[in-house]
Amino acid sequence: MSTILVVDDEYLIADILRYALEDRGFDVELASNGQKALDVLKGKRVELVITDYMMPVMDGGALAVSIRAEPLLQGLPIILMSGAQAHMGRDNSGLFAAVFDKPFDIVQLMAKVKELVDAPEAS
Amino acid sequence: MEQLNRLATGIPGLDELLKGGLVVGASYIVQGRPGSGKTILANQLAFNHVAQGGRVLVATLLSESHERLFQYLATLSFFDPAKIGAQLQFVSAFDTLEQEGLDEVVKLLRGEISRHQASLLIVDGLLNARSRAETPLDSKKFIAELHGHAAFAGCTVLFLTSSQLDDGSPEHTMVDGVIELGDTLLGSRSLRRIQLRKTRGSGALSGIHECEITEDGLQVYPRLESLYSHPSGQGSGELTRVASGIPMFDRLLGGGLPAASVTLVMGPSGIGKTSMGASFLAAATTEAPGLHFGFYETPQRLRLKASALGHDFSAMELSGALHIAWQPTTEGLLDEVGMRLLRLVEQHNIKRVLIDSLGAFTRLASNPSRLNEFFRALTGELRARDVSVLATWEMRDIFGSEINAPAPDLSSIVDNLLLMRFVEVDAELKRLLSVLKVRDSYYDPALLELVISDQGIDLKKAFAQVSGAMSGTPSPVSGS
Repeated sequence: MSTILVVDDEYLIADILRYALEDRGFDVELASNGQKALDVLKGKRVELVITDYMMPVMDGGALAVSIRAEPLLQGLPIILMSGAQAHMGRDNSGLFAAVFDKPFDIVQLMAKVKELVDAPEAS
Repeated sequence: MEQLNRLATGIPGLDELLKGGLVVGASYIVQGRPGSGKTILANQLAFNHVAQGGRVLVATLLSESHERLFQYLATLSFFDPAKIGAQLQFVSAFDTLEQEGLDEVVKLLRGEISRHQASLLIVDGLLNARSRAETPLDSKKFIAELHGHAAFAGCTVLFLTSSQLDDGSPEHTMVDGVIELGDTLLGSRSLRRIQLRKTRGSGALSGIHECEITEDGLQVYPRLESLYSHPSGQGSGELTRVASGIPMFDRLLGGGLPAASVTLVMGPSGIGKTSMGASFLAAATTEAPGLHFGFYETPQRLRLKASALGHDFSAMELSGALHIAWQPTTEGLLDEVGMRLLRLVEQHNIKRVLIDSLGAFTRLASNPSRLNEFFRALTGELRARDVSVLATWEMRDIFGSEINAPAPDLSSIVDNLLLMRFVEVDAELKRLLSVLKVRDSYYDPALLELVISDQGIDLKKAFAQVSGAMSGTPSPVSGS
């Protein structure tokens, strides 16, 4: 079973994503900012990170830089989902496997998730 | 006396209410039911503050997503997405509030203020903090601690709430100011209003003021009488005369109307009030320009009317001697229209104004009991700017002797009072003009006949042979 880490300070969006991912058979971890996401990554193996940009304590950009600086997390793909700052993600295309504008199309996002992570057996 | 540093809101009219803006480092509650404009006020302030070089942190305790907010704000002209994520940060503390409680929210926001070096913090959803608080003391503590941390960093705080907190609520006691937004129904019209319920340690224009929300955001119209409770200047101390536009009238008045005075012309419809006004405006010059502030005639119709009296308004407009500002009566709020008049006067250095008519203002008033104070402030300010005013007032009765004045206590508003009447003499309808009052001057009290021709307006002492002319149905003087 693959685990996906969803990082967003906006509880509603994090919840919607969690339900969508769980429906497709993924395990989901939630973190409400970049620092909390790094704490989760220390203790758990994660196959994909989906993160917001603008968050308290540590934003999505700083989180991606921290992940890329960690030797053990080199292969970990990161999806950025953001409204106003999507361009910052695209400017740093080396950091992110994909960038989605908020509000995002859930079908397209799920297709990207399946492309990046081996699809688990449908439940 | 020390002046407090101010953070200008940049919201038209609101800074006037706040006497310069929010006090830097102070805390405010903005309250009003959903839809009253709190979010617009706060975000307009945020974008304006960023434009002035400030940094803003918007923290929500609500579950509504920021993307939805942005979609909605994108319809307003002040919204600038390029600022978001840079000088303007939006973060959600909803999850922290739900999972970890008020203390952790304070800790989180304290960290965010210093991380972003925010000079303005906006906290949306104070009601949620209150419902999470175990005792009223907790929500008091929440505000006090957050304000304490913010003030230490020189950061001003705005708490938004949709609950109707009253003056005795613990939240109100903890903040420096309370701004309330709301609306009232007037017939089938909904009027937005704003009130500063508390402003600690600083003057403010108290009471209820009208406001509106347009695509440019919130616009506040301070009550004119509160804004100009003291006229902005003293006016010229000299007693001089200005031409009324009717040479014969100037002679009867001993040289003209007193300068910087307000003349009210009362009379029924069709008597020639606007024609008198047009003559008054025709005496304007490029050095002392005139303004037509009218509610009825369109500029084209006014030019035609003036041309029938022998005045070329188009040429005067071209030379800058005359400005025509037409106000459709169906639009506008009383204070907005009053401010518009004063702005035009300032902008064009206007020295004479025709207000046609004063009655149109009364139709804009949502609260007629204010009118006397409003007119007093408006005419007081015009006098202070050395502007000579001619205003018209339409009387209901075409004949008859009943006179309904525009407002009680007229003498505080008007310096000179002229009355016009239709009079039947020898099976002919004549226009009668009588002078009821002129400030600081003697005048010939004879009843005058107004004669309108393509040479302009002339006056004749025509009623010597009759008595009772003021009643409209005179009788010959006995023995004549």
